[in-house]
Order: sequence, then structure tokens, then C-alpha cells
Amino acid sequence: MDRRLAALLQEKFGERLLTPVRQRYDESEIRVALADATDTLRTLHDDPALRFEMLIDLCGVDTGEEMQVVYHLSSSTSGDWLRVIVPGLDRTAPRIASATFMWPGAEWMEREAYDMFGIIFEGNRDLRRIYMPDDYRSFPLRKDFYLADDASRSPAAGVRNMERAGTPADATAATVLRKSPGV
Amino acid sequence: MTQQMRPSLDDPRVAIPAESTWYEPAPIPQTERQAEFLTLREGEMFVNMGPQHPSTHGVLRVIIKVNGEKVVDLDPVLGYLHRGVEKLCENADYHQAICYTDPLEYVASLFCEAAPVAAFEKLMDVEVPLRAQYIRVLTMELNRIASHTLFQGWMALDLGGITPILWAFIERDEIVDMLAALTGQKLLYNYYRIGGVNGDLNHEFMSRLGTWMSRAAAQIDSNLALINENEIFVRRTRGLGVLDAKTALKMGVTGPNLRASGVPYDLRRDRPYLVYPELEFDVPTRDEGDSLARYLVRMDEIKQSIRIIDQVLHEMPDGPVMAKLPRLLRPRPGRAFGAVEGPRGVYGTYAISDGTDQPFRLRIHDPSFVHLQLVGPLTKGNLIADTMAVMASLDPVMGGVDK
Amino acid sequence: MAWNRLTPAGRVLAVLLPVLAIGGALTTALLVAFGGAIAATIGANLPIVRFLVASVVTFLISVPVAFLLIYMEMKIIALMNLRIGPDRIGPAGAVMSVVHGLKVLMKEDYTPPSVDVPVFTLAPVVVYLASFMTLLVIPFAPELTSMGFELGLLYFFAIGGLSVVGLMMAGWSSFNKYSLLGGIRAAAQAISYEIPLTLSVVGIVILTGTLSLPKIVAAQDGSFLDWFIFRQPLAAIIFFIAITAEANRTPFDNAEADQEIVAGFATEYSGMRFGFFFFAEYVNVFIVSALFSAVFLGGSNPPIHINLNPQILINLSALGIGLPLIAGIAPVLGTLLFAAPIWFASSRVKGWQALVAGFLIFGGVSTAAVGIWAFVMLPPVASLIWFLIKTFTLVFTFVWMRGTLPRARIDQLMGFAWKWLLPASLLNIFATAFAVLIAGR
Repeated sequence: MDRRLAALLQEKFGERLLTPVRQRYDESEIRVALADATDTLRTLHDDPALRFEMLIDLCGVDTGEEMQVVYHLSSSTSGDWLRVIVPGLDRTAPRIASATFMWPGAEWMEREAYDMFGIIFEGNRDLRRIYMPDDYRSFPLRKDFYLADDASRSPAAGVRNMERAGTPADATAATVLRKSPGV
Repeated sequence: MTQQMRPSLDDPRVAIPAESTWYEPAPIPQTERQAEFLTLREGEMFVNMGPQHPSTHGVLRVIIKVNGEKVVDLDPVLGYLHRGVEKLCENADYHQAICYTDPLEYVASLFCEAAPVAAFEKLMDVEVPLRAQYIRVLTMELNRIASHTLFQGWMALDLGGITPILWAFIERDEIVDMLAALTGQKLLYNYYRIGGVNGDLNHEFMSRLGTWMSRAAAQIDSNLALINENEIFVRRTRGLGVLDAKTALKMGVTGPNLRASGVPYDLRRDRPYLVYPELEFDVPTRDEGDSLARYLVRMDEIKQSIRIIDQVLHEMPDGPVMAKLPRLLRPRPGRAFGAVEGPRGVYGTYAISDGTDQPFRLRIHDPSFVHLQLVGPLTKGNLIADTMAVMASLDPVMGGVDK
Repeated sequence: MAWNRLTPAGRVLAVLLPVLAIGGALTTALLVAFGGAIAATIGANLPIVRFLVASVVTFLISVPVAFLLIYMEMKIIALMNLRIGPDRIGPAGAVMSVVHGLKVLMKEDYTPPSVDVPVFTLAPVVVYLASFMTLLVIPFAPELTSMGFELGLLYFFAIGGLSVVGLMMAGWSSFNKYSLLGGIRAAAQAISYEIPLTLSVVGIVILTGTLSLPKIVAAQDGSFLDWFIFRQPLAAIIFFIAITAEANRTPFDNAEADQEIVAGFATEYSGMRFGFFFFAEYVNVFIVSALFSAVFLGGSNPPIHINLNPQILINLSALGIGLPLIAGIAPVLGTLLFAAPIWFASSRVKGWQALVAGFLIFGGVSTAAVGIWAFVMLPPVASLIWFLIKTFTLVFTFVWMRGTLPRARIDQLMGFAWKWLLPASLLNIFATAFAVLIAGR
């Protein structure tokens, strides 16, 4: 548990943090608003005291009520790990600035998040489906995407097609099976 | 205008429009990058490699834009092995999720178990018994050697040498059989449990391990002697696909590929997990960042792994191999990121719990996925044959890339 | 009718016997009537008849040679890879390659819809013809050369170069990008390596003053120090590398690099057409090995002439009726001779076991004796055996290289040919000519 890092993050980002820095095991966690995301990432990368130069992971999360984008950063010099959560993306039309301006390697991870959640990363040069075929219409990892097995325990009666044609806008009309607003 | 009709080749009784030639219609570019890729200049053509091709590891499809023999641009197409593991894990309980992540990287599947298990243990605040930690280190290092020896064979095979892969399989088979004696499975071990491992080391495993350890170093050296000094091999890999440290960090490269570029970043040392802090080992690095360096770093890692195994066998304490846990696991709501240093890089698992017995979200990060992005930038301007050398040296496994 | 009660073998006999009888009678009658004329025609056109017979025999031996080489390669590479290799069909899997041949014969010969059909069909034939036509000038032994004519070496390079045309035809007509790349690679490689290949033997032509292969072999008569590999070592190295590339063998098998361009020019071929390519490759390996051993390893000359002056000259006809008697008695006596020590050696050996062992040993010893006798007494046999030993040593070297080396890249390959082999071969010509000028032959 690195108290120095927590203090540093609190000092650097101060009022930008939506919640206080949380630390558990060897991970630290901060939450920043959608508008501050790009600035925060740039500061984390460039600041000589922080130097989080490695983007270990980038992923989308669907909490059932909103979308999040989660970055896991690591510093190759100090070995610190940091999780940056950007909550509050609109479920109907999730949009966020791309991280490829700093980490070109984020391109495919953003493509994956787009493919699975429909999150649009503005500034990504190659934002298209990566796993699913090009003509696929829905986003499989969203919480309103039903697996075939879910039909039996679905609150809505009847069977839904697994691959339902739809856009993010009308996808919200479907029942969300599992919500976890606290995440 | 009447459309010309001609008999179908599959069934001559069926008539199809004659305009539909053998050529597929050109795909409509969806993005800026794709539009750039699909534009052919004078003298260029697309060569489609895969998904059935002798040297794409697994079912990868690579569209290569070539000008003669020269690769102008390259676009990997993924998804042929996509199984939706992340979605499946959301609908399985915590124990079942481990089985789903297991076959992700079938070459080194213990690491694909270790990462989610580490995340789940953080979620549940479980303390793993010391002996179980040692057993995990032991089995993971064995699996790392198996994976690297296979890499050596593959690399040589992609460069046209057929003997090294069969020599490499001797070591790999022995390790795989050894682990099969321990876990009951040859490939997808499903051995790690939340809070420990499935069973204690047994007699057959230990006797096989002892026999193998007594000859491993010499045997692996003889395998390396097959190609390490080979003039053709060295000439085809040296200075090819050079990845400098700065680009590597920006591209999110981890593992041996990053260490071959001169960044000594190893999770086992920089973010220690299990009992690695108590073990003594070096982190081999090289500065060249080319295909040869990536190959040699892996070969050096094999020797370090043997060293770690040796220490583990000497220092392993007695005791239980499984923590005491309730049968039904319901962690408190929370988030955890478990990461291990695998043979290809950082395997990460981001697990979110919402208080039920199923993970709310399980994100799996596979290093092969990131490394495959590099094939394009690294092979541009080289020859078709170099694509294989670069791809083999990055060592992607499609099971992990496609999830 | 008794026909229905006959077994299939009986039916065959019932048909064949009358046919043979009538055919034999007719042939005899024809020979009696026109035999003189036929003999006169053959006598008048002896070179043509000899050429026809030689071509047929050459064509017929090329297929077993390919089978033998394919088996050799499978087995040797398997042993190098620590595998067992073929071991099911025939002793130690020796018939495996014949079964492979039958397999390609029986597979569907598929012509893809958009290929250029005439060119696509002709390409394997051209490749195969080009490789087996070069067999004609190989001097197996002084008396066993199909066409020992004066321009043998030139003929070899001319016809050997034709196979590139076939590979280009296959690559172009297949309507496949891999095939196209493979065909172009094959053409580029063959053209580049043809030049050092041809230039490397110019030194030998200067030394011998002839292009005829039998004469080049004859020029190396003497001890092994007279072989051109010792007199022209640089030429030998260049020639060996160039024939490796000519025969498309590892490390220069870029034309069919399966890790890069699937199977190169042969990607779209299946069945017997693929079989032609496959056979041509192995016949080529045999031919280039044979050429190397003829030009550089003294061909059919033994390394050292040992004059045993054999005095065992039995005039068989002088024995008269004694010959069949000896032929009948010798095996019995020999068997007993070899069986007796075995029978006496151990009481556990039964009498019949000793007899069987004695008979087998006698068989082996007498065969070996006859073989050695033939080797010593008949120059063509000895020459042929020496020639084949040298050739198959080289074939083994090619297989060994395939089991050991990775593939060179195409640009390294071309660069090597133009930047190193070509100047080296020119240097060799210059040095040889200079030496000849100074020393005066």
C-alpha cells in the first residue's frame, strides 16, 4: 500500500477525482469524470513524478445503468499500478475520447470495447468490429444481450433471438437482466 | 438490359448471373484506416493468408498488401476463434469461470488460470497457503518452459527448418506428461483453485520432474545448438522487425517482447505475486529489439525458469495446499485486477463482483492480442517471408487473441 | 459351358493361351518373312534405334528412382527428427513411396474453374519432360550412356533450364496469387543460378577441351586426386550451391516455401499432375547429384585403381556335362559345410535349424562371392556401382541439408547468386585459363 502514491494523486488531481483514492492490495483506483478523462491520462503519462507509461489494459464495463471505461496503468519505473475508471457514459450512445493519441497500442482494445459494448472512441482511426463479423448488429457484452440460456429465466416471456438487429439506441428498450449501479 | 446468365458450377441446372465473377465485391471501407488500406496503388495486390495457411498460428487471417515481394501494408482479421469467454464467465460462478478461461491460451494454460484466480482471491481476501504458492510457481515455470520450447520449434518451422520443432517437442511432451500426472489433463489443466491448488504433488510427478531436471539443461542446450548459431537463421532474424523501447511502451507490449527491446519489466520482480520475492532469478534483457533478440530472450528465460524450479524444489515447505473456504463463494461487491507474468507477457483479469456468486464482469487481457497489432508496423517494407519471421518471433497464440 | 465354372485365374489363362499361341505363330511368321528387312533397317538406323531404346529405358528408370528418393527422404529426415518415419508398408516402410504414387494416381484430378486449361494441363508435363530428358546424357558407366554426344554438358544446361518454363506456366495459369509468386520466384531463382552454374564448369571445359560428359569422366581417370573436385575446388563449391538452387531444394526452396506461399506454383494442382511435379523434383535431385558426381567426383572411376589381376578364369564351356553336376552338388555341400559348425557348436540347436542357417549363410556367401566376382570382372558393373555410390552420397547430402537448414530469404538468395557466386565463378575461369596458359596444359 503506497501512501505516497495516494497522496500524490490526491494532490495532482484534487477536485477532479469523483471519489477519494481507493487502495486495496497493490492496486490504487481513481475515478474521473468523462470530460477530464483525456487530461488525466495525459498527466498520468507525462508527469515526471507519476510516469504511468504502460497501458496494461483498457476495457468497457456495462453496469446496466451506465457504461464505464476502465484503464489499467502501470509504471515501468516505479512499478506502481493504477486503475482509472471513467464512469457515466450514456448507455444509449456511449462516447469517449480515444486513448490512441498517447498509446497507439490501445487501438485494438478500443476496437474490442466498441465491438462488445458499442462504445464510440472518438479519434480512433480504425474503429470497426474486431471479433464479430462486419454485418453484425448487436453488442454481445451489454447486459441487455441475452444468451440463449437466459430465455428460460428472462423476465420477459418468450424467446428472444440471440442476434437481434438493433442499434444502441433501441437496445435500451430491452430489459436489463442484471444491474449493479454501485460498481 | 437483360442480364447474362450462366450455369452454376456447383449445380449446372441452376442459372446464375454471369456478372457475378469469381471476384468478391470490394468491401466498403468503414474507417479512415480501412479506406487507406483498401486503396491499391500501381503494382500492388492483396494476398490473403489464412485462416487456412501453414504458418498462421491457429486460425488467423492476414490480408497482406504486396508490391511484388514487398509488404506494403498488412491487416490482421481476427474472430475466427472467438468464443465469447467473457460473456460465458458472467453466467458462470467463480469456480466455473476458471474452466472457461483455461483454454484461452492452450499453449500455456496455467497462466490463464492463475490470472483470474489471483483476481478472485483479492476479491475474497483469501490467503493462499504457502505450499500452494510454491506449487503454483513450480507448475507455472514448467509451463513457461513448455511454451518457450514450443516457440523455439515454431520459430524455426516458420523459417523453413523442420527438425527443431520435433526436437523441441521432446521437452514439451515430457513437461506436458508431467503436468498430466499431476493434474489429470495434458493441455487444459484446470488445476488452480481459489485459495490453493487442486491436489498436492504426487509421486509420479515428482519422479518425472527429478528425472527431467537432471538432464533438462543439457537437453535444452542441445536443442538451442540446432539453430542458435545457424547462419541462415541469424541472417533472417537479425535486424528484422526492430521494436524500440519507446514504441514498445506506447504499444502496450509486455513480456519477453518488451524485454527484448531493453525495458527490464517483469511482473515477477516489479509487482511480485506468490512467492517470487523469495526466489532468486535474473530478468534477461536485450537491447536490439529485433526478431533474434526476442528469440534469444525467451531462450534465456528457459534457463532462469530451470533455476527457479530448482530453488522451489529446495525451499518448498510442507502444509496444506488449499485454504478453508465456504463451498458457495459470494465475495463482497468490489473490483480486483489479477495479473501474472506469462510466457508471452502480462495476463490480466479484471473482475467485478456485485455480491452474487457470479462475476458481474470478467475482463481478460491477453498479451498476444496486443502483440499481434505490431505485426503490421514491424513488417511494413520487408518481404513476405519476413512477415512469418516477425509474427513467429512475437509468438501470438490465437486462442488468447480471439478469446 | 465350362466357362462359368472357371475361376478368374482360369479364365485369364483360357483367354491368354490361345492369344499367345496365335500371336506367337503370327510373330514367328512375320519374322521369318520380314526378319531380314527389319534387321537391315535396324542395322541401317542404329543410332535412332539406340536412342529410342535408351529414351524408353531412361523414362522407365526415372520413376523407380523417384520412388527410392522419396522413401530415402522420408526415412532419413524421420531419423534426423528422432521419429520413426514410414514403417508399415513393406520392410521398414520401403514400399511407402510406391503407395504414395498410387495414391496420387487415384486422387481426383481437379481443374479449378478459372485456370487457363491448356497451359495448366501442360505445365507438369513440361516440368517432368525437362527433368527426365536430362537423364539421357548422364554417363552412368563408360558403356552405359544413353547419348554420349559431344555437347552433353551444354545439352544438360539447355534442357535443365526448360523446367523453369514449366514452373512459370504452372504459376501463371493457376489463377492464384500464391502460384504466381511461386512461379516468379522459381523463374528469378533459376535464371540467376543458371549463370554461375554454367560458368563454374567452364574451367573444366578449359582443362579437358570437351563438353562431352563421358570424355570429362574419362579425363578424371586415375587416382582420386585427379578428380576435378580437387583440381577445381572453387568451381565445385559454386556448382554445388547452384544445383541446390536449380533443384529447388532447401535452403533454396523458395519457389514452394510452404510457410510463405503455401505450395508455390503447385498450390492449385492435385492428383497425378501434382504427382508429376513431385516426381520431377526428386528425379531432378538424382540428376543433379549424378551430374555433380560425373563432373567433379570422377563419375564411374574408382578412387584408387587396384589391379588385382584376377587369375580365376574358369572356362565354363570346358566343363561340359560337369557344369550342371557342380551346380547341383555345390549348394548341398556348401549347406552342409556351413551347417556343421553350427550343429556342433551347441546341443540345443536342432538339426533342421542348423541346416536352414547353413543354407542361408551359404546363400549369402555365394551371392557376395558372385557379386564381388562381377565387380572385379565386369568393368560396367564396377563403374556403375562406383557411380551410384557417389550419386547417392550426394543425394544423402541434399536430404541432410533439408533436415538441417532453414530457408534462405529470396533477396538474400538472389544477392548471393549475383554478388558472390557470379564473381567467384568468373575468378575461377580466369585463374584456370591463366594456369593453363602458364603451364601449357
